[in-house]
Amino acid sequence: MSTPTFGALRSQLLDAAAALADGPDALAGILSGIVDDVDRALAEPLEIFPVCHHSPASAMAMARRLREKQPKVIYLELCEDLTPLLTELRNCRLPVAVQAFASELDGFPQDWAPLSVVAPITEASAEYQAIAYALDTPGVELVLVDRSTDHVFQWQPRKEKAAEPALEPGAEPAEDADLHGDAVGVEIGDLRPRFAELEEHLLHHGKVRHWSEWWDQYVEQPLGDADYDTYRQVMVLIGSLFRRLAPGAHDRVASDEERERYMWTRMRQHLATSGIDAADALHICGAFHAASHVAEFGLHGADTYEISPRTATKWHYGLIPSSHSSIEAQFGLASGSVSIAAAVFAKSLTRTGVVPYRLEGQQGRASAKKKAKPVPVVTPQSQQVADRLSGFLARPPVLDTLDEDELLGWSVEIVRLARRNGYLASTADAIAVFETSILLAGMRGRARPTPYDFQDAAVTCIEKESVPGRRDVRRLCEIMLGGDRIGQVGYESLPPLARDVHDRLAPLGLKLEQRGVQRALLDIAGDPVLGKCSDLLWILRHLLPKGAARPIMGERRLGHRAIQESWDLALGTHQRELIELGYEGITVEQVLEQRLRRSVWGPQATAAVALGAVEDATLYLRSRRFADELGARAVDLLAAERTVDDAPDVLRRARRLLAHYRATEPVLPAWLESFVKAGYAHYCTLLPNAFVEEETGTKQVAAMLGFLFSMESLALSLGCDRAQLELAVAQSHPTTPGKTALLWAAQHQLGVLPRAELRERCAALLDNPLVLPAYPQYLSGFVQALEPVPALAGFVVEAISQAFGRLPDAVLLPWLPTLITTLRKEGGDHVGLLVREAGRVFPGDLPTLDTWTPPWSTTAVEPATAGAPRVQAGPVGMLLATYPVPTDALAALLGCDGEWASPERDTGTGAVRELLARYPESAVALAAATGAG
Amino acid sequence: MTEMLRAPAETKYAEELDWLESIDDGPKPFSWRLSPKMVRLFILGSERADGLPREVAQKWFGDRSFVERAIVTLASDRGLLLIGDPGTGKSWLAELLSAAISRNSTLVVQGTAGTTEDHIKYSWNVSAVIANGQSRASMIPSPIMTAMEQGVIGRFEELTRSTSDVQDALISILSEKYVSIPELDDDNIVFAKPGFSIIATANSRDRGVNDLSSALKRRFNFVRIPVVTNKKSEAEIVRFRTVELLRRHQIELDVPPTLLDILLQSFADLRAAAASAGSDDEKLESALSTAEQIGVLEDAILHSNFFGDRSLRAQTLAGSLVGSLARRAPEDLAILNKYWHGVVEPRSKAEGGSWTEFLEGGREAIKTLS
Repeated sequence: MSTPTFGALRSQLLDAAAALADGPDALAGILSGIVDDVDRALAEPLEIFPVCHHSPASAMAMARRLREKQPKVIYLELCEDLTPLLTELRNCRLPVAVQAFASELDGFPQDWAPLSVVAPITEASAEYQAIAYALDTPGVELVLVDRSTDHVFQWQPRKEKAAEPALEPGAEPAEDADLHGDAVGVEIGDLRPRFAELEEHLLHHGKVRHWSEWWDQYVEQPLGDADYDTYRQVMVLIGSLFRRLAPGAHDRVASDEERERYMWTRMRQHLATSGIDAADALHICGAFHAASHVAEFGLHGADTYEISPRTATKWHYGLIPSSHSSIEAQFGLASGSVSIAAAVFAKSLTRTGVVPYRLEGQQGRASAKKKAKPVPVVTPQSQQVADRLSGFLARPPVLDTLDEDELLGWSVEIVRLARRNGYLASTADAIAVFETSILLAGMRGRARPTPYDFQDAAVTCIEKESVPGRRDVRRLCEIMLGGDRIGQVGYESLPPLARDVHDRLAPLGLKLEQRGVQRALLDIAGDPVLGKCSDLLWILRHLLPKGAARPIMGERRLGHRAIQESWDLALGTHQRELIELGYEGITVEQVLEQRLRRSVWGPQATAAVALGAVEDATLYLRSRRFADELGARAVDLLAAERTVDDAPDVLRRARRLLAHYRATEPVLPAWLESFVKAGYAHYCTLLPNAFVEEETGTKQVAAMLGFLFSMESLALSLGCDRAQLELAVAQSHPTTPGKTALLWAAQHQLGVLPRAELRERCAALLDNPLVLPAYPQYLSGFVQALEPVPALAGFVVEAISQAFGRLPDAVLLPWLPTLITTLRKEGGDHVGLLVREAGRVFPGDLPTLDTWTPPWSTTAVEPATAGAPRVQAGPVGMLLATYPVPTDALAALLGCDGEWASPERDTGTGAVRELLARYPESAVALAAATGAG
Repeated sequence: MTEMLRAPAETKYAEELDWLESIDDGPKPFSWRLSPKMVRLFILGSERADGLPREVAQKWFGDRSFVERAIVTLASDRGLLLIGDPGTGKSWLAELLSAAISRNSTLVVQGTAGTTEDHIKYSWNVSAVIANGQSRASMIPSPIMTAMEQGVIGRFEELTRSTSDVQDALISILSEKYVSIPELDDDNIVFAKPGFSIIATANSRDRGVNDLSSALKRRFNFVRIPVVTNKKSEAEIVRFRTVELLRRHQIELDVPPTLLDILLQSFADLRAAAASAGSDDEKLESALSTAEQIGVLEDAILHSNFFGDRSLRAQTLAGSLVGSLARRAPEDLAILNKYWHGVVEPRSKAEGGSWTEFLEGGREAIKTLS
């Protein structure tokens, strides 16, 4: 710390400490405390390697230190139960996140479910260097020593979840920033001011915009070429200062201290059992923890800490894809900072020739196999470093050729990208960007332009008064500087369910692990193997979020078999969701079964939900046994329901299922029969109430009536009694016009209310000016009545026509908009039926209309037919009269007395007969052909 | 020094600039009087960390990266175009930059609909031409041409107010860096000396009136100055300008901090209302910029000084606010009326104090104007 290299950093931190300490005494206390912290951490016999997350300097120092020291055991600050996952990293393309997931909680409040913890790992991080070294070097042990994921939630006050770090001001969430879902993030080396004033102070006095830039300028750049001792000192110093200047963050500090106790206890336990010399070990932890004050700290710390047991919650572990932007969003970093850190790391590697560790077989970037050079030993008192940086404030920055080439490349590339995005940028702009970057860096006191300077320069030179395309120059710079790298979990590391899905979709011949949307064409009729793929895809569509599997052509509903289907698949993009599905079961079928079962046994379950589940089970699982089980539950649910809110849904689904079973099976399933029976009784019971209750809508009542009427024959055959329905209708006394109309329709259907009387009632309504404003509501009731009584369509057309015909314009015109909105809102499903009926009733052209009289005005008064039934003329009457024996026997059986009235002989005055008489040839030819005499 | 109503920045801060120049050991581009870092320091003020023996006051308030980008643009080959809403301090920044870089901020062309190419290049002294014929002596160089000859910064205010053909006269000045005078037979080219550059300002509300041609756009770097919405820095700006104003008018008057808070709060409220308004009729015509706030305060101060009891009261402030913001007869007054009854009234009930007086003053003013 004595070299001028860190002069700027030192004055920054001293200023901050002075500004935020409570007075000169406190400041002195803090400063001496920091010195003690640094001494203590560096004197610890078990070597502590302080790191900061997403710091290329940490990663570089780690690579160097590992090659130099070759430790035998590495203790890493990461949840200990994640250990088995780390070997899987080699199958993945980084960044990926190590995830622990629990949906069935035991020991936590149920409303916390599902619990999820992610620890993202990028390639340019110190922890990856350590992991790669430990896993690929024989005889080296990697021990994760931090508290388990279970403890994460045990120790975390729940309110903190809501207070996750927000994005940097002005940052927009990037396109792929939600890869982690709503998991809680843990990371190694969280090093950031713990209270806002300190961060604000540092940013203001450091003349930078956000934390990542501060870190880059004041820590990252000076540390880039520093020796190991300096690195450690600086890191511990910063950790110690942030720790000391964290007023009010008691909860967090307490949790941090708990973790430190945990880690040191674990490390001592491990050293004791394995017998490894502490000098051969390396403890990697955040710089914040390196400056710890707990009694357990150090190899010889107190041994009194008792690790609390985990809860009985069952955790699932896996890897999920991550991305730079997700990491930035999760940990509140400036947009683009992780990508920039990765670019800086790559550049530092090229510059220094340090060969990083990389897991054998790691997917992703193809790395040229280079033999590791001997470690460039950096002497502790590197005069060269001091000299090179001591005067940079006073002279223009000197670029080395590598920097210059890089900057030139960036300048050219950003202009190319800008052009592609609609900017009028040219080579002149590339030159200007290059020049401006250097000038800006010089003015900001940086030895060479950082990506942030470059970004500012590009915005200055290329951005004009408006953004021509979708992305502005700032965003283009981020994309160019590495963009957002999105990780991918390799096949071998996927959970069995996801592997199974990929295996079963192999016949499609698509590379489904790739990101992006791919079109699958399934000719099921031509290749039956594809039928199985189709089954799987439908299940995936049901289980995964929209977009993961989207049918373009083809559908799956009861009674329908697709012969061809086409799908848009994006399983690679939704890899996380697929992996999380894997925590629920071994196959998608099992997961679907569990979910369906949960949905019908859950507290929110209703009969409609259960019928839906039956439908899903039939469609996707083709399991009759399971469908029966769900159906039985539907019967119970229906019987227990006290409201009829779901009646329309129940009716629709029950009808579909009935139609399906009637068409495919010889007998109806027992549960469906009981459902119809139970439904008939249930709705009959609830009908009078539903007619009166204000909360129950007309639609619900119509659906109840629909259920009662359309399933009546089945219900009666199963032993229900029609009298129940008649009584229920008789007990109903609705008060609203819509429901009154429904009741009339029901009475008409039951034969209580003949059409003539219905017509009279409507006419009376139209005649009464006081009721007139409510007429549309009656109409909407009638329209709803088409559901239970479809035969009423003719009458509804008549009622509407009557209104148009009889109302004076003064009443009709203001009333029309109401009619239209009422029809639209309440009768949307049935308007089509009405229009068809109207098309049948009304004449098709104008001339006919003049002479046309509506059928209802010509209808003669029906002859009163009370008393003796009229003898039917026609073939039926003739048949019965010709063979009277069975009828007589039936009459005797029923105990009816009566005698035969001679039917009039059918003289055939109908239009058909007339037609046949006029053109007899066809009838004669038919008779000849059938051999009739 | 002769008395001036408003001294240009280089005169006003002459002593400070001299001092900065004397301690400046940084590299200076072209003929700049200060190094870029010192220019930044002059505009944004010093901090303890800079280790200077005396304090340099902050003169322009805003994001420091804007200033840095503006300075490096002037050090490069391109002109600088400051673009933003009215009242965001574009011209003030331009003045400070030219004062710091070339100690001359008065070479200004004001862009209007009547600006002609002569205003940018040169014109002739007609009587001198009649007497002596066309020569360099009878030529009247424009401020821009003078800036070229001296190698200093020329300014062009409201660039987008002048017509496109006039704007395009700048293209050759910015790329070739000379102006030719075809009327003369010899000595007919004026070359720009090193250090010449142009700072133009444009009002983003005028977009579309006279759009810049692509050729001209290419020769300018755009720096967009946003409206200050950060309450803290806005308070600083208002305080800074008010102190200056009081000094200029030689008025001894105290601005109570509570009144400053009321002013800032009501502007913030009105801005929020304007942002959520659906149509132009629902928002005030004023851009509600910081400059407008300063105007309101200035108005109130002058009023209290000359017609009041030499102390600033909330009623006066309210009257001045209503007076400055009510520009359109029914619309603006209706919005202010709504604001006064919907926001100020409940607040005066809740907080009392100066808000109550503010409420009364505003009501009175609205009543007078209605």
